[in-house]
Amino acid sequence: MLRVEGLHKRYVTDEAEVTALTDIRLDIADGEFVSLLGPSGCGKSTLLKIMAGLIPASSGSMAIQGKEVRGPGPERAMVFQDYALFPWMTVLDNVGFGLEARGVGKAKRTGTAMELLHAVGLQEFAGRFPHHLSGGMKQRVSIARAFAVDPAILLMDEPFGALDAQTRQGLQDELLRIWTARRKTVVFVTHSIEEAIYLSDRIVVMTARPGRIKTIITLPEPRPRDMATSEMSARQREVRAVLGEEISRAAALEQADMMAAG
Amino acid sequence: MSIAQTGPAVALPQRRRRRRGLSRDTMLGGGTIIAFILVWEAVYRLGLMPTWAFPSPWKVVLAFAELIEDGRLLENTGASVLRQLCGVVLAAVAGIPVGLVLGASSTIRAALLPLFRLIYPIPGIAWIPLAILWFGIGFKSTVFVIFFSGIWSVIFNTMTGVQTLSGQYTDVARVYGASRWLYTRRVLIPGSLPFIITGLRLTYGVGWRVIVGAEMISSITGLGFLIDDARWQLRPDVMICGMITIAMIGWVSENWFFDWVERRTVERWGMKTSNA
Ligand SMILES: Nc1ncnc2c1ncn2[C@@H]1O[C@H](COP(=O)(O)OP(=O)(O)OP(=O)(O)O)[C@@H](O)[C@H]1O
Ligand SMILES: [Mg+2]
Repeated sequence: MLRVEGLHKRYVTDEAEVTALTDIRLDIADGEFVSLLGPSGCGKSTLLKIMAGLIPASSGSMAIQGKEVRGPGPERAMVFQDYALFPWMTVLDNVGFGLEARGVGKAKRTGTAMELLHAVGLQEFAGRFPHHLSGGMKQRVSIARAFAVDPAILLMDEPFGALDAQTRQGLQDELLRIWTARRKTVVFVTHSIEEAIYLSDRIVVMTARPGRIKTIITLPEPRPRDMATSEMSARQREVRAVLGEEISRAAALEQADMMAAG
Repeated sequence: MSIAQTGPAVALPQRRRRRRGLSRDTMLGGGTIIAFILVWEAVYRLGLMPTWAFPSPWKVVLAFAELIEDGRLLENTGASVLRQLCGVVLAAVAGIPVGLVLGASSTIRAALLPLFRLIYPIPGIAWIPLAILWFGIGFKSTVFVIFFSGIWSVIFNTMTGVQTLSGQYTDVARVYGASRWLYTRRVLIPGSLPFIITGLRLTYGVGWRVIVGAEMISSITGLGFLIDDARWQLRPDVMICGMITIAMIGWVSENWFFDWVERRTVERWGMKTSNA
């Protein structure tokens, strides 16, 4: 279980102080798929980076299986929105990077990486460099890289945000397929209500800045989910209503910021 | 080129047009070089310059034949190239790590940059007398001067490469728990490579420009020496041979070697953004 308690985050720069997160408490069960949904700038990425151990929280704590953690750890892996593949490594080396960092030998690394490339259907591209790949393929590689280290927790920051609708749907299904087969805990940041509903066991809706948890919506519907049913449409309306308030509040905040700056 | 001609962006015609454009450029460039030689010949024939100081192109060709035959060209070119390579390799070996450290640590930047900025503008040639005092006439002092005038561009470019490297690559390395060494080897150096190569190109260029001056003063071999020595023998044709050799080697190494390195690395990785 991943437990976040009383988490606050304040960014202090020379010009300004921004409170990004206040009083976040959240329990995520093993194998659960949780989405973070909220208006732009509400601190979703911040929360995910704290969970990844990339930045420290200002106060509060995080524990995995009851053990408090600070900093990155081998039980967590992250998938970034713009893939963050190393352009100078082949697809195979990119997928194997996490294993290389763990000191896994070359033969074993290649074996595991190839297996994951198979899982995402990119075995033919093992020897290519990332810039030959489409956005969807790059994100598949990035997902393969994360699964290669066999993490218990997978953190994904708008992984499909830069992709076109068609590719996006394909990758959602693929992610669900791999997730079902390997049962990781997934924390998934998204802007898309539909995506959150299609994928998640629970949706954590956050407020406009400073980010707090507004509500948590549980989705017991079995997968694969048919988004065309009236049940799912009702779900979408429900989430849209909750999120809508925050989006307009965030917009007002942004307006105020711009007035202050101008 | 008119805009109206631009049809649908099909790859093939575009490539063909580019190739034709390239050969047109080659012809223009080559034409200018030929015109230059013709003007040179004309100045010689019209007697605009004293002939003992101004050889004809043909005399230069003959001098080339002479220098190749008696082995002086090969020997002196070899000496210069060897010094150049030693200086540049030393500059790379010392400069890349320094640049990496400077790029990675703002503390070290604050400590070292003021000194470096102070030393950097001193022209390489100004170091020659001191280099002779320290290392004597010959190989070591010349290599020192090349090294010292060239190392700055490697350092500063490598530093910039590290500073402009996307923080996301660092995040990936940290998430997967990469050691500092793995991070340096697999992320920092390849990620900064476009800048490192640019730095080395400049180092190479600076070195090759400095070497002639250095050899004129502190050497009894090398192309700089060949040129300077020709003065005592009143052989302007030999001087020009030396100058042409310097130009050719500079051109070949720039266009072949560094372009080749770039093709094998940053271009292959899709990281090359600007065209030099
Ligand atoms: N390094 C930083 N320094 C200062 N302020 C920051 C920093 N990173 C983020 N912020 C601020 O913290 C707030 C939350 O940022 P964050 O990126 O976590 O939001 P987000 O929910 O991921 O937004 P988006 O949906 O646009 O990705 C924003 O107001 C942002 O400007
Ligand atoms: Mg974000």
